[in-house]
Amino acid sequence: MKAFKNNVTKCRREFDKSVLQIKSEKSLQELRNHYLSRKRGQLTLLFEDLMALKPEQRPIAGQMVNELKKDIQEKLQSLKKTFKTEEEVVERTDFTLPGKVRYWGAAHPVHLFQAEIENIFISMGYSIEEGPEIETDYYNFGALNFPPHHPARDDWDTLYLKDELLLRTHTSPVQIRVMEKQKPPIKIVIPGKVYRKETPDPTHLPMFYQLEGLVVDKGITFAHLKGTLEYFLKTLFSEKIKMRFRPGFFPFTEPSAEVDIGCTVCEGKDEECRVCGGSGWIEILGSGMVDPQVFKNVNIDPEEYTGFAFGLGIDRTAMFAYQISDMRFFYENDLRFIRQFLLK
Amino acid sequence: MKISLEWIKEYVGTRLSLSSLIDRLDMIGLVVDDWQEKDGDIILDIETHANRPDTLGHLGVARELAAGLGLPLKEKDWPLVELEQETSDFIDIQILDRDLCHRYSGIVVRDIQVKTSPEWLRKKIESMGLNPLNNVVDVTNYVLFSTAHPIHAFDLAKISGQKIIIRRAHKDEIFKTLEGETIGLSPEMLVIADAKKPVALAGVMGGSDTAVSETTRDVFIESAWFDPVSVRKTSKETGIQTDASYRFERGADLSMCPQAALMAASLLSQLGGKSTREVYDVFPKPPKNKTIILRHNRITELLGIEVDQEFVQDTLPKLGFQLEPRQEGSWQVTIPFFRVDIEREADLIEEIARFYGYDKIPSHFPPLCVPEPPRKEKREKINKIRQLLFHQSFDEVINFSFADPEKEAVFLKQRPEIAIKNPISQKASYLRTSLLGGLLENIAWNKNRGAEGLNIFEIGNIYFWDDSKAVEELFIGMATTGFIGQSYWEGKDEEAGYFCLKGTCESIMAHLRYEPFSFQEAKHDYFETGFSLALVYKGEKVGILGLLKSSLLDSFSLKDAVWAAELNLASLFSKQSKPFEYKPVIKFPSVSRDVSFLVKRNVSYQDIKEAVEKLSVAYLERFDLYDRYSGPTISGNKVSLSLRFIFRHPKKTLLAKEVDSLQQRIIKHLKSRFNIQLRKGGQIDKRVRKN
Ligand SMILES: [Zn+2]
Repeated sequence: MKAFKNNVTKCRREFDKSVLQIKSEKSLQELRNHYLSRKRGQLTLLFEDLMALKPEQRPIAGQMVNELKKDIQEKLQSLKKTFKTEEEVVERTDFTLPGKVRYWGAAHPVHLFQAEIENIFISMGYSIEEGPEIETDYYNFGALNFPPHHPARDDWDTLYLKDELLLRTHTSPVQIRVMEKQKPPIKIVIPGKVYRKETPDPTHLPMFYQLEGLVVDKGITFAHLKGTLEYFLKTLFSEKIKMRFRPGFFPFTEPSAEVDIGCTVCEGKDEECRVCGGSGWIEILGSGMVDPQVFKNVNIDPEEYTGFAFGLGIDRTAMFAYQISDMRFFYENDLRFIRQFLLK
Repeated sequence: MKISLEWIKEYVGTRLSLSSLIDRLDMIGLVVDDWQEKDGDIILDIETHANRPDTLGHLGVARELAAGLGLPLKEKDWPLVELEQETSDFIDIQILDRDLCHRYSGIVVRDIQVKTSPEWLRKKIESMGLNPLNNVVDVTNYVLFSTAHPIHAFDLAKISGQKIIIRRAHKDEIFKTLEGETIGLSPEMLVIADAKKPVALAGVMGGSDTAVSETTRDVFIESAWFDPVSVRKTSKETGIQTDASYRFERGADLSMCPQAALMAASLLSQLGGKSTREVYDVFPKPPKNKTIILRHNRITELLGIEVDQEFVQDTLPKLGFQLEPRQEGSWQVTIPFFRVDIEREADLIEEIARFYGYDKIPSHFPPLCVPEPPRKEKREKINKIRQLLFHQSFDEVINFSFADPEKEAVFLKQRPEIAIKNPISQKASYLRTSLLGGLLENIAWNKNRGAEGLNIFEIGNIYFWDDSKAVEELFIGMATTGFIGQSYWEGKDEEAGYFCLKGTCESIMAHLRYEPFSFQEAKHDYFETGFSLALVYKGEKVGILGLLKSSLLDSFSLKDAVWAAELNLASLFSKQSKPFEYKPVIKFPSVSRDVSFLVKRNVSYQDIKEAVEKLSVAYLERFDLYDRYSGPTISGNKVSLSLRFIFRHPKKTLLAKEVDSLQQRIIKHLKSRFNIQLRKGGQIDKRVRKN
């Protein structure tokens, strides 16, 4: 019985396959003969096999063959309509006409790239935090160890609103807000919009996206910062990416480090390289060990806990990753630009 | 900061190739942004940090480089050609405001002939990108670029009363700058005054009345320490930024004052002048150098590698720190005055790390610790909405948070708008109070570049004052105009329009389970009268949608109709949504009943929908409007609606007569509420619109 059932299935499959290859009235006739000829047609053969089964199995088997026969007849009948004789080829659908493609909306590339970065950190056990864009001078500067009236503030050209209120110049204030209410261990990334008093040009914008990271626990070292950022950059770009850590300055980290990646466009060989300016290196991240004063400002004992922080520009990094020559493209919202990233 | 390689070589005897040198500087944190050849010299453009004023001169950079290369730092002697007299024989120095001037040193050089500098000095000044002026001014600049310590030369003869008084400016006092500009002073500003009037704005700029000129014979050289905050405030207030103020506001070297004066006097002596016997040094309260305890094990704790004690003892002194061993594994470190950035142990550990080499610190993965991640419901909801909109053919945009008060006046009027005190331009001088302005800008941009239709959205904050509190609130804005997607050869092109947009709003509400919600007709400043609705959930208006006013479109130079919606996601997310529950799929078949009826036009579909819902008819699974017709075959001010009701019992197959009575209940209710008039047979064939 099992063998019989298999034969029926096999016969059906073969028919379905052959049907697709039918191109003319003639081959249709041949197919009909092959399956339905009373003398040697495939179905006739199946009926003969059926007779060899035990009597109690025959009704079910018969039903199977009948169903198959009905299906074959119907299909052949419908095909016949399309293939009259060659002279009377009537109008029939041109199946090479374009198929209907539904319009699928595109995510903004900055959000796409942001998710890509976030996912790397989420896979390392980080959680995501957010904070306000309108900040106070204290959270944006004071708590982060910028002394009042210090020229270090000039490096962060600030847009001011009223009194102590300003548009945050970095995502770092969220570090403070999180540490104020959460005890270590802390392991977070903070994405968001930040603002600077910059007139738009190919590499500067008054608003862009940053992603900040913060890890605080007992026994966190600079070596952990290096290990984390190396893993992150290799995952984001490629296993082969070159990178270097060099001393930098941020009021809220000590020691501070800037992270460069090797220019993948010229590999340091083109003195006129548009991407790296000929140095062979591109500044990609600012980072460092959390400054003890920052810990004191949020009542965490810097003798007991250490931590590291880092930050990068999401749009800037995307620019480098995709070789986008002008940062303004991201906020012109030209759909010819945005929709390309559907293919990402 | 421009750094001449030739100049550096006077301090450090290095023969390293340029590229290795640049690399070395990069790796100790003095990044070389650029370099260029100039008259046989190499001029490096070094990025300095706001906390390292000591690197704003060749000596400081050379000190770092020497330590980085393990070479000695060569410092010159500054011999004088001396007069018999003391400096105090010519001038009297008095510091009245000691809080703003901790030290003031001066020396007099006589019989100097003011003229063009010798070739070597001219070249030095030119290498710094300045034009040589005369030997006296060039010498003061030479000292500044050598030591990073700004000094100033006065024409001694023009200082009245042989007096130098360091004091705050008097009210309404005025001052004529070197550049000849007259500025008003305020009592917070520190000045250098003679017996009569201010002769210099302390740490910022000298005055024209006492400036060195061709007729000058004797000069008084000032070398002082001024309070950084005071200099910064004065510089900001007067709008005068100089090489001197740039250095003073970062913190000058308190110990350098007499030395810099001496260096200038020595140079002027070489150029024919004769100096007084020694520097007149007013230093009322010499502070002690800072000391910091440095623990060897703390270095390991912070860096994650054990650095040899010898390395620490070898490196720090090269940078000017003095080490005194205390008990095993710790030192008392004395900080030189020129390192204003070093205040804590961590600062010293950074010094060690810099010269040890960041590249030699290993890379480790932090020990695995996964604090319990809080659920981010807001992010989940935002992402769900975004996915929903992508499926509904909306493209996502991100606009700047700024608003143009002219173009976006209608939007800004809606809420107390927030102005930016120092905007980048007038067109970006407010924070947006609506997302729609940005969307209209995007429509105009894309239409000008050939787009036929747009279907776009943005999720982001809007900003406004709530009393004196600045509020930022998460909104979604959607706008649609023209056709969606490309023209297709079969059927009509899909036109964006009101019902597409309303459907999108409905599906946002439904998919986030904010149900039941309703729409109400509501006038709104953004929309044409009679073409706008409010979206209501739990009795609160959470959104608006409609046809944008043509006057609004005009300000963005748009011609075609634009439908837009804006939902307050912050308010929506703060409300309870229906919990998600799984319901088993019912095996029993449903019974569907179509009912077509005529009803007055002024009865809204929403009224009918709510009436049926309120009825809570048993086993009514759902009902949908599947046709609406108001053609010539319908008389009067009526419209024909066709509803399909689906009934299903969870535990059995419903009988026809059971459904009949349920259907009758609905019809009876609608008749009494809205006076509906059933069409014959109660059903309608959608294709011919006839029974
Ligand atoms: Zn390159």
